Amino acid sequence: MQVNKPEDFTKNVSKALAQPDLKKIIRRTTDKAETKRTEAVANFPEFENARSQGQKVKDHTIKYMDHYLAEFEKNALAQGTIVHWASTGEEASKIVLDICRQHKAKKVTRSKSMLGEEIGLTHAFDNSEMERIETDLAEHIIQLAGDPPSHIVWPAMHRSREDVVKLFREFHEDPTYSEEITDLVRSARRDLRNKFLTSDIGISGSNFLLADSGSSCTVTNEGNAELTITPPKVHIVTAGIEKLVPSMAHAVPLLRLLTRSATGAEITQYITFHNGSKRPNDADGPQECHIVLVDNGRTKMLAEGMEEMLRCIRCGACMNHCVVYKHIGGHAYGSVYPGPMGSVLTPHLDSLEVANKQTHACTMNGRCEEVCPVNIPLPKLLRSLRAQSWQKKYEPLTNRFVVQSFAELAKRPRLFQLLSSCGVIFMKVFSRKGWIKYMPFTSGWTRNRDLIEPGSTTFMHQYKKMKKAKSGGA
Amino acid sequence: MNKQKSELSRTKIFSAIKNAKPTVTMDVKTIQQEAFELLKESEFARPKLLSEDATQALVLRIEAGLVIGTSCEKISTLDDLPNSVNQFFDKHSLPQEIKVQGIDKLEKLDWEGISTDSDIENDNTVGLCWAEYGVAETGSFVVHSSPKMPILLNFLPLYLIAVIPKSKILHYMDDYALIANEIAKKGETPRNMCLISGVSGTTDIEGVLVQGAHGPEVLHIIIVEDQ
Ligand code: SF4
Repeated sequence: MQVNKPEDFTKNVSKALAQPDLKKIIRRTTDKAETKRTEAVANFPEFENARSQGQKVKDHTIKYMDHYLAEFEKNALAQGTIVHWASTGEEASKIVLDICRQHKAKKVTRSKSMLGEEIGLTHAFDNSEMERIETDLAEHIIQLAGDPPSHIVWPAMHRSREDVVKLFREFHEDPTYSEEITDLVRSARRDLRNKFLTSDIGISGSNFLLADSGSSCTVTNEGNAELTITPPKVHIVTAGIEKLVPSMAHAVPLLRLLTRSATGAEITQYITFHNGSKRPNDADGPQECHIVLVDNGRTKMLAEGMEEMLRCIRCGACMNHCVVYKHIGGHAYGSVYPGPMGSVLTPHLDSLEVANKQTHACTMNGRCEEVCPVNIPLPKLLRSLRAQSWQKKYEPLTNRFVVQSFAELAKRPRLFQLLSSCGVIFMKVFSRKGWIKYMPFTSGWTRNRDLIEPGSTTFMHQYKKMKKAKSGGA
Repeated sequence: MNKQKSELSRTKIFSAIKNAKPTVTMDVKTIQQEAFELLKESEFARPKLLSEDATQALVLRIEAGLVIGTSCEKISTLDDLPNSVNQFFDKHSLPQEIKVQGIDKLEKLDWEGISTDSDIENDNTVGLCWAEYGVAETGSFVVHSSPKMPILLNFLPLYLIAVIPKSKILHYMDDYALIANEIAKKGETPRNMCLISGVSGTTDIEGVLVQGAHGPEVLHIIIVEDQ
């Protein structure tokens, strides 16, 4: 699959909207997630308290980030973990690859982490002499297909069962010839089992970093993180610096929020705290443990008043509830993080110049903020990015002209009303049975959906009429 | 070279944070106090349990089908364990073969002809492990890595039996976090602490839940009342 770029957002969207089944495929997963989350929240009356506590835990840690980072480093070193620091994604990827090369690794297993995608680790391995094996089932599917992820929780949601059947038949050593989903999962289990056990290095992300113990925490449903990390000699963790929390007790409220918001399950099956390398005589576990702490735009977000975004626990609820995401899917965003959270993150990880269109795609209906388990004001952050984009003149000239003309017009109410009335008449000329399928200057809208016919008169006209009628009646 | 680069990035990251928040106090006592205060909110921010009794709450949770792929039973003493294991074999039509975790209290039981040293690297095996704790809130059992606890024992077999001593069943995850903190104070933190709540599952193909993705497909929890 050709990888989309964030700067081609408009083109990517047209491509996505032209795929007849895409919307159905996306909604199959997101609608289910939406329903299950609603049920999970309804079954947890204390959810709002948990949410407020979760937000405070993240805000506290962000406020004292340097203190907690130093504490984490000290305690991780005390556990025997080797701590690395990376300002950029490129640096982080290089550190990981260098460690693998020092150990003459041939095979590297990796359990899903969005940070790994963000820092370009997957591509770095693909351009190396080493074999990268993705162990999360969805990541396994998209690795075989050569796709980027389309969702942060279900990265392969854009692939149908038929696609998976074809991929597994082509790539698995002992593939299934059944098309049953259970049999497909078994086929992946058989294929990955030996790879887990013979890997040289295991790479994981981290859902939380515990400052008081220097531990990293993984959260999975499949148990692939533990199977990735335990058999090889070396474990490498890559984690963004915003993953910090003061202690395990502070991670607990966030764990209560994470899966309920992501999948609607009350808890995920496997939560593991990894504390450095194997202890003497331990029955299994890696002999060496590295952690790469990555900035890659996070301190910039702190400096630019975007620290609320650093609360994000990557649950994906905002995209499951986003009307734009549900129409266009994850690939259209052209970046690792799609949906509302991605539209805020990408301008910082990449640049606002290339990702400003994503900030304008939002309808500002506020659903993302309503469901975010750590109360991130996504619409407010998107509005502030829009303002920055305007100040930096990133909008196309036509857009700037239209907005500026509107601003001028809005200052002249009489002229505004006159033109609005003309606009209503103009629109009615193109209306057929209450809908407008085509009208000059609106092809951006009418290409993919019809425009509703306006009322017989303008809002202001109706308002004045009503007011007059009221005062006359009084 | 890499070390120098990493040091440089470290300095850059810390100074970027300082520059972004020049006015923030760094009095450690204040920070610790603020962090401690946050935990007081947990009491009002966690779900009600199905029973006030932790063991009962754990059992009810599993019996209500809230813990994926998991069943449970209670036995009075550890001596009853081989019999329960045999019933598990019968229920799932399995041969009398299992990998029992190599700790004394399990090894010295009379296993009544059951072979107890299966190879866990083969698929289809049954594993039996001794849990350090149970957590009623999430229906979890907790294992700690050690010389006698291979973490893989909990992940490779297709069938897993976890034995939880009744006295070690906690109400909430917060209670486990307190215990983990005590263990850390003694300098005895194990390499891995795993909270396991159900079987290995995936919804990655068309959102359909399949059990036994990489690890166990079936989990049976046995609570030992006199332990
Ligand atoms: S922004 Fe909020 S809802 Fe979206 S992924 Fe992050 S935590 Fe979840």
